[in-house]
Amino acid sequence: MRLMSSTWFAACRGGRRCLALAALAATAAAATRPHYGGTLRVEIRQTFETPDPPTAGYGMPDLARAFAITHWEAGRRAVYAADENAPGGRPFLDTVEIEMARALRDQSIDLELGKTDVAEVGPSELRRQPARRKLWGSAPVRLVALVFSPRVGDARVREALALAVDRAAIHNVLLQRQGEVSAALLPQWLSGYAFLFPAAADAARARTLVMGLPPAVRAISLGVEDVAERPVAERIALNARDAGLAVSVVPRAAGADVRLVEVRIGSLDPAVALAGIAASLGLPEPTQAGSPEALYVAERALLEGFRVIPLFHLPDVYGVNPRVKGGPGIAPLGEWHFENLWVEGGRP
Amino acid sequence: MTFRTRLLLIFTVAVVASVALVEWLATDSARQAFERLETQRVDGLVAQFRKEFAQRGREIVRAVNGIAASEAAVNIAIAADYSPYYNEAASLASAHGLDLLELVAGDGTIVSSAEWPARFGYKQDWLAEPADWESRGAFLRREELPDGVALSLVAVGTASAGGRQLYVAGGQQLDREFLSSLVLPEGMRLLLYRNLEPGFSPAELVGGRVEDVARVRPLIEQVQQRKRAIARTLGSGAGAETFHALPLTGYQDDLLGVLLISSSRRELVELESVLRRTGMGVAAASILLGIALSWWATARVTRPVQQLARSAARVAAGDWGTTVEAPSADEIGQLARAFNRMTRELVAQRERLVRAERVAAWRELARRLAHELKNPLFPLQITVENMQRARERYPEQFDEVFREGSTTLLAELAKLKQIVASFSDFARMPAPEMQPVSFNELVSETLKLFEAQFARARVRAEAALDAHLGPVQADPDQMTRVLRNLILNAIDAMPEGGTLTVRTVALESGVRLEVSDTGQGLTPEESSRLFTPYYTTKTHGTGLGLAIVQSVVSDHHGRIAVESAPGKGTTFRIELG
Repeated sequence: MRLMSSTWFAACRGGRRCLALAALAATAAAATRPHYGGTLRVEIRQTFETPDPPTAGYGMPDLARAFAITHWEAGRRAVYAADENAPGGRPFLDTVEIEMARALRDQSIDLELGKTDVAEVGPSELRRQPARRKLWGSAPVRLVALVFSPRVGDARVREALALAVDRAAIHNVLLQRQGEVSAALLPQWLSGYAFLFPAAADAARARTLVMGLPPAVRAISLGVEDVAERPVAERIALNARDAGLAVSVVPRAAGADVRLVEVRIGSLDPAVALAGIAASLGLPEPTQAGSPEALYVAERALLEGFRVIPLFHLPDVYGVNPRVKGGPGIAPLGEWHFENLWVEGGRP
Repeated sequence: MTFRTRLLLIFTVAVVASVALVEWLATDSARQAFERLETQRVDGLVAQFRKEFAQRGREIVRAVNGIAASEAAVNIAIAADYSPYYNEAASLASAHGLDLLELVAGDGTIVSSAEWPARFGYKQDWLAEPADWESRGAFLRREELPDGVALSLVAVGTASAGGRQLYVAGGQQLDREFLSSLVLPEGMRLLLYRNLEPGFSPAELVGGRVEDVARVRPLIEQVQQRKRAIARTLGSGAGAETFHALPLTGYQDDLLGVLLISSSRRELVELESVLRRTGMGVAAASILLGIALSWWATARVTRPVQQLARSAARVAAGDWGTTVEAPSADEIGQLARAFNRMTRELVAQRERLVRAERVAAWRELARRLAHELKNPLFPLQITVENMQRARERYPEQFDEVFREGSTTLLAELAKLKQIVASFSDFARMPAPEMQPVSFNELVSETLKLFEAQFARARVRAEAALDAHLGPVQADPDQMTRVLRNLILNAIDAMPEGGTLTVRTVALESGVRLEVSDTGQGLTPEESSRLFTPYYTTKTHGTGLGLAIVQSVVSDHHGRIAVESAPGKGTTFRIELG
């Protein structure tokens, strides 16, 4: 503010031009200053078909700290209003309107057209974002992994698929280098040892593993429910074909031989996070670990047998309308912190 | 077979053969015309396909070159990082109406693939090989897709910028939609076999029906082996189709597809059927008409001939006065008129002959009567003169002379009476009274009656009788008379004695009676006149014996013949029944 004031004084020597600059300076000062009021419009892919708003997890449940639900349309729309008695004080925003089940591409278009203030940004949309677009990103907190059904009993098939997947190509192209390649359940930033799990593809070894297997055993279905993840699944199928596996991508995960799933890191404590991941993926509960080495051993034990093949750790990325001020609105684990945001111009 | 029937058959065969020839010529001409038409249609379709193929190729080349020349392609070519463009091909392909599009870096790495987006980063080494893609135009290629392989018509364009290259390989699939875009004449079909798998794969036949698979398989396999166009007619009847199989090769002359142009032969079969039915109808009508005309013509030709034949038969039967109509002036008319002249001449000659024979017969009768009557008359005259001379000169011996004279007169008068009775018998020959007669008994009994005469005449009589001969219908008195006349005739023929043989032979329904002598025999002239009444070669007799024999045999509906030669005896042969 002081810098702006000195600039204003330096420029104010020319009559009417001086008046105009003075007006601009006043407006800029008002924009950067938090103020109450306004509605933050948010679009998300996720949908909640429950009769009541979710109270656990990330995203909308995080709003409960400073906002109260005022309108709920299951699976479509939710409106939260500022809680006057919030523990941290009343948030600047009056309301937060959330549109659910919006495709990433639609969110990107809405953000471009100013119809929303906060929108998720997928890898394919990431490169299309304007240079001045403000992006909020979390740490890589979403584990993308392949999870085999118990009926795929031949470990050679599971290991061959683990070796066949070219994680680097997918990360570079399809994920546009978001997040990180990983063969571990916990991300490197959380465990510090994820690099010890080899993530490089070895198609030759994969072919050797499945060479003697009958065609019926080599044919497996890969279920993927999220359309946005289908290109990743298609690429995995292509890699698998090179290894001699006949992988067919199916749109429903239920009943598939292997599923492409996404699991969220729920804690900054590695042991707790590992336990949460194992529980989400149907793996046995890991042994209690008091040190990083023990945690590594526990995680390695979970990955024995290739029932789960970790692929990537991805961050949450949001594109933000320039009128949204304050923030960032998300924490490293991806929690929403909208209580510190305000919007220019109040209600749009 | 009559002349009319033969003539009718000849005419009918000629008509049928003519109609069959015309029918065959018409059908053959129609078939050849249809084959030419079909060849033209197929050639036209092949030309249309090639034109369409070339047009599609030009469109693809234009689209691919348009993409290669676009700013987007140039940006990709010079990009340090291709990853942001991995999805670019799909939008470019959609914008340019291409089914397939791949953006490939200069080293052959796929930057983006519309048909298989997941293939980014894979290699397309064939694109990186040295080739003049600009002049090659569009060509066929086997494309791998997520759900299998496809036959496609592709072109390659090149975008160059900053010393870097980007290959743009795009095209369209040759599939059912492509085939349906071709306009086909009625009765023609277009099938495409995509030769993308080793051997024959039914799933690769596009545009065909289920039943086509087994049908065209041998044809496709032949094209796979020979790699040249082949035409075959498959199926039979109205369902038959002529398939022209054209090999479709890729830019490395590898066989990637077989285009099957099918032309239904239903029209030809139906045309042939119509021609056949029409031909059969016309043929049947023509044959009926031909037969009718032939009947009329043959009747016209053969009626005078038949009349001539009937008239000739009547003439042969004795009706010499028969004549025929001769209405026309042609050869048949001339023949009829000649026939009529002939019969008139025959009648005239017969009348002249009858008159001459009648005169001759009267003369002969007069001579015979004079001769027969003269012999008794001379003794009568001498006796009467002796009686007159004895009365005048020797009255004392007159009584004795009178007795002897009257005896002589009575004897000669008796002879005269016998002569008159013979003539009377011949004139009054009664009708035979038929009854079963055993000829063997009749011969035996008759020969017994002549035993004394045989002895006087030094004739040895022999009977050769057929034991199997049964009774034969005949008049026994008349047949006895016949046998007696022939025996007397034989005795007279052997004045120096000899052998008389009477033989009976059983016939199928009658008897053959033979009377043979070993006399001096007859000349042919005598043999020919032997049965003429009042004709005799003897110095005595009336000449009626053999005439009576012939008359009796004739009344019995039998036949009599004589076999004789001078010095070798004579045999009379009678057949009855």
